[in-house]
Amino acid sequence: MDPIIQTHQLTKIFKEEEVIKPLDFSLQKGEICALIGKNGAGKSTIFKMLAGQIIPTAGDIHLFGKSGNEKAQAQKRMAFMIESPEFFPDFTAVQNLEYFRIQRGVVEKKRIYEVLKLVGLGEQKKKRFGDYSMGMKQRLGIALCLLSSPDCLVLDEPVNGLDAEGIMEIRKLLLKLNQENQITILVSSHILTELQLVATRFVFIRNGVIVEDLSKKDLDEKSRKQIKMKVDDTAKAAQLLEQAYADVQYKVLPDKIITIQNHIEEGGEINRLLINNGVLVMEFKMEALNLEEYFLGIVEGAAQ
Amino acid sequence: MINYLKSENYRLLHKKSIYMTSGICLFLITSAALVLYFFQQSDSNFPYGTSIFLYSNVISSGIIIMIVGFLFNTALTGKDASVMKQAVSFGISRNTIFWSKLIVTLSYFLLLCLIGLILVIGLGESLFVSEEASIRNFVAASFNMLPIALGGFVMIHALKMLKVSDIYIIIFLFFLLIFSGDLLRWLLGSFSQLNEFYQYAPSTLLNDNLMSFMDQSAQFDFRFWVTGIVISLVFLAIGMMRFTNKNID
Repeated sequence: MDPIIQTHQLTKIFKEEEVIKPLDFSLQKGEICALIGKNGAGKSTIFKMLAGQIIPTAGDIHLFGKSGNEKAQAQKRMAFMIESPEFFPDFTAVQNLEYFRIQRGVVEKKRIYEVLKLVGLGEQKKKRFGDYSMGMKQRLGIALCLLSSPDCLVLDEPVNGLDAEGIMEIRKLLLKLNQENQITILVSSHILTELQLVATRFVFIRNGVIVEDLSKKDLDEKSRKQIKMKVDDTAKAAQLLEQAYADVQYKVLPDKIITIQNHIEEGGEINRLLINNGVLVMEFKMEALNLEEYFLGIVEGAAQ
Repeated sequence: MINYLKSENYRLLHKKSIYMTSGICLFLITSAALVLYFFQQSDSNFPYGTSIFLYSNVISSGIIIMIVGFLFNTALTGKDASVMKQAVSFGISRNTIFWSKLIVTLSYFLLLCLIGLILVIGLGESLFVSEEASIRNFVAASFNMLPIALGGFVMIHALKMLKVSDIYIIIFLFFLLIFSGDLLRWLLGSFSQLNEFYQYAPSTLLNDNLMSFMDQSAQFDFRFWVTGIVISLVFLAIGMMRFTNKNID
């Protein structure tokens, strides 16, 4: 079966800066894939290229196995919400969705009310979009995505501006759509703990390059441990680590703390190395990581 | 494309600015006629209480007509045009978006022009003494203005779709409809092959049209159509080529 999304050497250059380096990525049916990266890593650019909003400098995009002129037809099976949702501020929620219902050829008008109810805007359907709060705007953006009953959702920061209750509702909705309606989802968010609760796959991106692509199982496995040490001289400890392990991934944190993300199994040797070279190790422990810490480890740690 | 046209039509029909612009235009036309009528009634020597004078105001209002066209086009290409990114992500092509917005706004603009024309003729013929052949002259002169108005509208649309600032569009419009003839005469005057080229400039054509109307000798002139079609094709080509490759985000 064709992947829902497949890119081959997808590249984007803005003003001579290669913001997306040749990217090969595929999304399989049924996945909830989280695209994770810092601001400016290239997540939104990838989403916009998939949506056809910005034109790739090079490379191919296949949606449901279709590319070129046929891609537009495949896009009708998808729904995108990229950055902030855009609607007409002087229209009510119903009028805005009616405009898109006509545009997308959705036959039944009652679908508008169904999706508004689904995202919790049933009571505010007659309110002007311009008077909506940030969270309500996000919900309307999701309602628009669901309007044409897509097979794949691409959501960039879907819980942006939502309160805790709203975030939980959207999480439940995404899981329900995926599990009951078999909707494939590609999602990004700065709330990594939320992604950890919904995603089945995690793709880490840095400076336009995929640096890690893990299933949930792999992530659980890999993020299980890190070494956390408190030492008296972090600079010397860092120097010793770099000399002993060329590929060491570590982070220097405040309060003289160093965390090491790889060579976990060599914890004893690392401890001995530091002590033998005159670094006082005041604390040494193995600890589990959550997605946030793992992300910081690979995205920021690797930069050091 | 049909669905996109329908949705843009829905959007336009729900915009208050379209009704306000149309209402103000028709109100001003009616007011102008009533003011002339009032002065004609109160002063028997008032020289402008004629249908020809009323019609001549329309024939000399090319720039105002184009500003109304600008307002109509802005209804679908203004600030909230950012909503079109949703259409793009649904697989609607940039060509469809470009043409649909042009077709919808131009249709309503032409409808308003037609209503305005009928209103002017109705007021002119009912309030003032009908002069011989004045309607025929007015219709001929209006028909000559049509291709220039179409060219101007296409230019506005292409520039709006390319997100050119409104102020530059207005300046460009003024240049095209008021100064283009003088500029071409100045630029090409020294070239014997091209020194008559200014006669095809929109401003020259509109001036000639007004003069012909005042002489009651207005008739179909192919130069208007040549100029209007050239302007339309040039701006359609520029607009389409640039917009097709434009990022919409």
